[in-house]
Amino acid sequence: MTWDITGMGAVASIGGTPQEIFAALCAGRSGLAGLRAFDTTKYRARQAYEIDDRPRPGADEPGRATRWLREAVAQALTDAGLPHDLADVPVLVGTTLQEQRSAELWWREGTRLAPPDLHFGTALRAAFGATRTYTFANACAASLYALAMATDLIEVGAADTVVVAGTDAIGESAFGTLDRVQNDIPDALRPFDRSHKGMLMGEGAVAVVVQRAPAAPAPGRRVHARVRAVGINCDAHHPTAPDPGGITRVVRDAHRRAGVAPGDIDLVMLHGSGTPKNDTTEAGVLAQVFAAGPGEGDGAGGGPLMTAVKSMTGHTLGGSGLLSLVVAALALRQGTVPPVLGLTDPVEEAAGLRLVQGTAATADLGLAQIDAFGFGGINAAAIVEAVR
Amino acid sequence: MTSTSTAHGVSGNTEVVISGVGLAVPGITFPDELLGAVREGGFDPHTGLTGREMRHKDRASRLALRAAEPALRDAGLHDGKAFTGDGDTTAVVVSSNFGILDSVCAFADVIARDTVTGLSPLGLPQTSSNVIAGSVAMRHGLRGPSVTLCNGPTSGLDAVYWARGLIASGRAETAVVIGVEPSGDAVTKLLGEPVFDGAAALVLEARDRGARPRAVLGAGAYARGADPSAAVAAALGGRSPDAVSLWLPGEDACGGGGAGPAYGLTARLGLCSGALGVLQCAAAVAYFDRHAHEDAAVLASAGGPADDAAAALLLTVP
Repeated sequence: MTWDITGMGAVASIGGTPQEIFAALCAGRSGLAGLRAFDTTKYRARQAYEIDDRPRPGADEPGRATRWLREAVAQALTDAGLPHDLADVPVLVGTTLQEQRSAELWWREGTRLAPPDLHFGTALRAAFGATRTYTFANACAASLYALAMATDLIEVGAADTVVVAGTDAIGESAFGTLDRVQNDIPDALRPFDRSHKGMLMGEGAVAVVVQRAPAAPAPGRRVHARVRAVGINCDAHHPTAPDPGGITRVVRDAHRRAGVAPGDIDLVMLHGSGTPKNDTTEAGVLAQVFAAGPGEGDGAGGGPLMTAVKSMTGHTLGGSGLLSLVVAALALRQGTVPPVLGLTDPVEEAAGLRLVQGTAATADLGLAQIDAFGFGGINAAAIVEAVR
Repeated sequence: MTSTSTAHGVSGNTEVVISGVGLAVPGITFPDELLGAVREGGFDPHTGLTGREMRHKDRASRLALRAAEPALRDAGLHDGKAFTGDGDTTAVVVSSNFGILDSVCAFADVIARDTVTGLSPLGLPQTSSNVIAGSVAMRHGLRGPSVTLCNGPTSGLDAVYWARGLIASGRAETAVVIGVEPSGDAVTKLLGEPVFDGAAALVLEARDRGARPRAVLGAGAYARGADPSAAVAAALGGRSPDAVSLWLPGEDACGGGGAGPAYGLTARLGLCSGALGVLQCAAAVAYFDRHAHEDAAVLASAGGPADDAAAALLLTVP
């Protein structure tokens, strides 16, 4: 079975729609700026990829993750030509921090917070009448996990249309604890480059409408891309560090579910969080998975193109996997792959990978793989197919 | 895709059962105590959350670990030393609304006072709500899907529903479901009263794995929607409310009127929030252990008109 992506919406530091974001990525335009959310004197890292929408500079406000979620879902519904009424449509939201930032502002500054504000069903009910709503706090694999579970719902006949989304706003405790543990102080997120110093957070929300493919051809129905499979698993190995075994398993599981071989993949949207540990682990696994098999040539110049959008959006946490998927859908359609910004000298493990450097690459693309890995050892990998 | 149930196939008809229950609930040892049985002793968080394996763990993870192991033992998947099932096909599904709220607020306090240099690097996992699922997966080597729901009053029932779904879709053959709410200053301040400070765990399996079934979770036995009564009606799936042997209502007791005698768990336990649905299922198992007549059915419900939605789940006797 396959599933159609019929609507897409997204907001991030570099653009307010999927098309704006894709254009910025292809132009090599980053959302990096000085940290706006908090008192910078309290932190070592002072850069982030924030959405610059606070009403007063220097003062944070609650509810931003929820606001962007509403915006991304509305965009996706409009794009799919669907009414903004989700009374019968499941909405699966993947997030790392939920409304953690609103909780911090409540605790520290006394802004208003009620328990229903902490999960997104409350706002989705108010905005879209949605009641089959689920907030999955599945770290940075959350939105691809939600996509996997959406495909399951459609496959077992529990729904024909599902909205899948992700959202996160930067929070103090998460930003601060990450800042505390990173040995170096990154001034930018530079995935797979020898100069990488770690992860920097970004902000944003993303949503897609996933639908059962119609039994008969439906003229005029626009499909952005087709989901072939999503694999999900857990390393059960370390609370925060990635594990090559678990990542290998999830990528191979996604390929098996999709019925594709590594050689069929034309594009990989990397997790690429810019931490030395992620970059060496992910690159090492992919070098093995995509190593040319017998009869597939000598491997020189072979294998899929690869890119990492976090080099320009920052790590948008729970929504990052689905944002990569939306970018993949546009890349497949346009035959253009954004570069990894700042990549000039790849780490040793990435030496054999076709990472797009400098400027956007053009290529004929049919199948894309999207990686997303998170704390708790959780991994997800999706396979999407171009629709011509 | 065929409609038959295979290791990696998909079937809406897979019969999923609860095969094990474990509790880390203050003052309680066995699930029948949720329904009023009285024994001496019981779990004490002051003494029960210590030990080498608990070091550096957040309170919610510690409570969850204390509940998960007895559930696995109860299901015959733990020999007292280690998990004996298949880690690759075992999922972990956690429900908690306030699992890391106190950590998050405490870390913000430390930053304000001492800058980030005052933070402990060991706190990093606790900045993400899925720390609990990760802790349980790591302890027992559970490498299947790992899912954390923070979904309001219905969250526990929702977690059971999604765990069932992971098995029905073939993504897992076994699932450990945990509902947990740790107490803390921030949680108490937000709710106006403390949460119950405990955890409940279930083991779910496809019935055809040869599990010892303690309760059945049918396809279509769960519903979530705006109207509590409609959710209950949908979960009953055409059954008369009279067919319900026991109704375990949510914290505001909505929607199940007329559906069997009601027994509210929160009168004894206090606010259970995201743990409630899992506790309700644990209580249902205890009920079926005692009342094995062939048409016994337990209705669990959560959420009311003031919430974003209500959910209901019907459990039937194996």
